[in-house]
Amino acid sequence: MDFGQFISYIASGTVYTVGVTLIALPSGLLIGTILALLYVYGGKVAARVMNLYSTIFRGIPPLVLLFILFFAVSKGINLSAFLAGSLSLGMVSSAYQMEIVRGALLSVSGDQLMAARAVGLSRLQAIRYVVLPQAVRLAIPPWSNEAAIIIKDSSLVYALGVQEILRRAQLIGASSQRYLLAYLSAAVIYFLLVYATTRLLNLLEQKLSIPSNP
Amino acid sequence: MPEPILTIKNLTKTYGQNVIFQHLDLTVNEGDTIVIIGPSGTGKSTLLRCMNLLTRPNEGQIWLDDLEITAKGTDEDQVRQHIGMVFQNFLLFNHLTALGNVKLGLTKVRHMSDEAATDKALEELSRVGLADRADHYPGQLSGGQQQRVAIARALAMDPRVMLFDEPTSALDPELIGEVLEVMRQLALDGMTMIVVTHEMGFAREVADRIVFMEKGYIVEEGSPDEMFNHPKFDRTREFLWKITELYGKKEKEAK
Amino acid sequence: MKRYLLLAVALILVGAMLVGCVAKPTSVLDKIQKAKKVSVGTSADYPPYEYLDDAGNKTGFDIELMAEIAKRMGVELEWVDMPFDSLVAAVSSGKLDMSISCFNYDEERDKIVDFSEAYYTTEDAFVVTSAFTGTITVPEDAANYKVGVQSGTVQDGWLTEMLVTPGLLPEANLSRYERVDQAALDLANGRIEVMMGDYVPIQALVAQNPDLQVLYHGVLSTGPINIVLPDGDTTLKAEVDRIIKELQAEGFIEQLAVKYFSE
Repeated sequence: MDFGQFISYIASGTVYTVGVTLIALPSGLLIGTILALLYVYGGKVAARVMNLYSTIFRGIPPLVLLFILFFAVSKGINLSAFLAGSLSLGMVSSAYQMEIVRGALLSVSGDQLMAARAVGLSRLQAIRYVVLPQAVRLAIPPWSNEAAIIIKDSSLVYALGVQEILRRAQLIGASSQRYLLAYLSAAVIYFLLVYATTRLLNLLEQKLSIPSNP
Repeated sequence: MPEPILTIKNLTKTYGQNVIFQHLDLTVNEGDTIVIIGPSGTGKSTLLRCMNLLTRPNEGQIWLDDLEITAKGTDEDQVRQHIGMVFQNFLLFNHLTALGNVKLGLTKVRHMSDEAATDKALEELSRVGLADRADHYPGQLSGGQQQRVAIARALAMDPRVMLFDEPTSALDPELIGEVLEVMRQLALDGMTMIVVTHEMGFAREVADRIVFMEKGYIVEEGSPDEMFNHPKFDRTREFLWKITELYGKKEKEAK
Repeated sequence: MKRYLLLAVALILVGAMLVGCVAKPTSVLDKIQKAKKVSVGTSADYPPYEYLDDAGNKTGFDIELMAEIAKRMGVELEWVDMPFDSLVAAVSSGKLDMSISCFNYDEERDKIVDFSEAYYTTEDAFVVTSAFTGTITVPEDAANYKVGVQSGTVQDGWLTEMLVTPGLLPEANLSRYERVDQAALDLANGRIEVMMGDYVPIQALVAQNPDLQVLYHGVLSTGPINIVLPDGDTTLKAEVDRIIKELQAEGFIEQLAVKYFSE
C-alpha cells in the first residue's frame, strides 16, 4: 500500500468522527442548557435532581455508557453503532455542558436579574433578555474546550465498530505492521480538526464580544 | 391637598434571627422628595427594595395609590412598571447600548414598536443629557454617565415613584455632581422621589422631608430646616453633624 | 481485566434479559435466510487470519473461509468490524449473526454464546527478541520472565490459570494488551521479554521481523478455532457445522491454510 492510499484510508474515517461530533455536541448543548436553566432557576428540588444527573453522567466512563446503550438498550430499539455511540456521547456531554452553562449563568451577577425585574420584566423575560445573552459570551471559552474533548472522545465509538479515524488507524497499522505511521497520521488529523474548531470558536467569541474602554 | 402616592404601614423585615427594621410607618405624597438618611446597615436599602417588592416584608402593608401591593396575588411585574429604581452600582445591562438599555422595558414590557420605543428612549436620554452617547456600551461610559443612563432607563417607564438607592455612593467625586443635577431637575419637574443617600447638600436643598433611620427604626423625620436646625433628638443632631462634617468636605472637594 | 469486566457486564445484561424472555425468538437462521444476508463480525487487525490488503479490503484465512460459507448458505455476507473484545458480546446480544476472528473455545465465552465445529487447529507460541538470554524448554519456563499477551484471549487465560494463580508468575510481570501489535511493540522495546500468542500470526510477525524468534510452540490453550454463534441456536449451528464439514472434506480449508500460513 503506498503512502497516499495509507493516509486516505485513515482519513476517510473523518466523516464518521465529524458525524459523531455533530450529533453529540449540539444535543449535549440543547439538553445541557435546558438542564442548566432548571438547575439555576428551577428551585431546590430541581437543583438536586440536576446535581444527581450531573454526578451520574460525569461519573461513568463514556465507554461504559456506550456499551450499555449499544448492547442493552438496543435490545428493544435497534440502534446502529453510530447512533448508539453518538447519543451516549451526547448524554455524557450534556452533563458537562450543563455545568458550563450553569457556571456562565451564575457568573452573570444576580444583580443583573434584579435590575431587569426592577424595570418590570418578568423573571422569564429577565433570564431570556438580560442573563442569557451575557451568559452566552461567558460560556464560549469553556465550551470550546468541550468541543475539543468531544472531537477526541468521538474515537470511543471504535469499540462499537464504527469505522472512524482511530479504528482505521488500528486496522491498517496492524495489517501493514506500520503502527507508528498509522497512529501519527491519526494524531495529525485529530489535531487539524481540533485546531480548526477552536480557531472558529475564537472568531465567534471576538465577534460577539461587548465593546468597552479598558 | 396632596394625595398619598405611597403608604407604608407597620412594615417589618427580618432575616433569620436578625431584625432589619420593624413597625415602620411612612407616607409619601405626590411630588414629594423624601430623603432617607442613617448609618450604614440600618435597613435603608432593604426598605427601598420592599417598596418595589424586590424583597417581601414579613409583616405590614404597602399601598401604591389605592392598590395594596403587598396583598396576596398582586402582579409584581405590573407593580414594578410604575415604580422606577436606580441602584448604587448602576446595574446597566452590559450587553446592550445605552439606547438598548432604555428601550428594553419599552419593547418587552410595554410592547411598544421598535420605532416608538427608540423615539421615547432617545427622549429620555436627552433628558439626562446623554442622547449623543446612545450607541455606547456601559463599558464605554464613565460612572456618572452610566448612572444617568440608569435614571433614563427607569424614567422611560413613566413611573409614579422613583426610588434611588445611594445613587452616588459608587461614583468618583467629580462625577457626583452631574447625577445630583439630574435628580434635582427631576424633583423640580414634580417627580415623586424617595432617595437614600449621604449627600447632605442634596438633602438640604432638594428634599421636602428627611427621614432619619437607625437600628431598624425611624428616629425622626421632618423638613430639612427642622432636621438640621431644630432636631427633636440628640441622636439626630449628632448624626447630622458628623455626616455634614464628613460629606461637607467631600462636596467642597467636588466643587 | 477490562475484558472480564465486559464479559461480566454482558453476562449480567443478557441474563437479565433472558429472565424476562418467555419463548426463544425465531432462529437466527430463519432471520438470515429471510433477509438473504448474514452479518458477521471480525476484527481485521490479526494477520494472516483477518487483516486489510493494500486496497483497504478485508482479507485473510478467516475472511475467505467465511465468504465461502456464506456462499454455500446462499446468502449475502455483510462484514461488521469491531474490536476483538466487543465481538462476543455483540453476537450474544444479537447485534451480529455470528463472528469469525480466530476464536478458541473458552468456557467463559460458552456461557453466553455457542461455538461451531472447529474449522482449523492452531498452536500457541512464545516469541522473544534476539536480545533474550533465557530459555524456554517447557511452557512453564515462561514464568521466569516478563510476559505479554493479548487480553481476553485463551493465551491470556492459560497464563493466568497455569502460571499466575499458582504463584509461578507474579501478576506484575504479566502485561495484557488490547491488541497483538501493542504487545509486539513492547516486546521490541524491552518492556516485556516474552510474548505468548497464537502461532500463526506470530509466524507472520517473525517473517516480517528478523529480530524475533519463536522459542516454543505447541498446543496449550489453543487448538481448535471455531466460529462464534448465538447461544442456543441449534438450527444455525447445524447448518454452519454441515458446511464446515463439507469444506474440510473437499480440501478447501487445507488449500486456504497453504495459501495463508506457509512462507
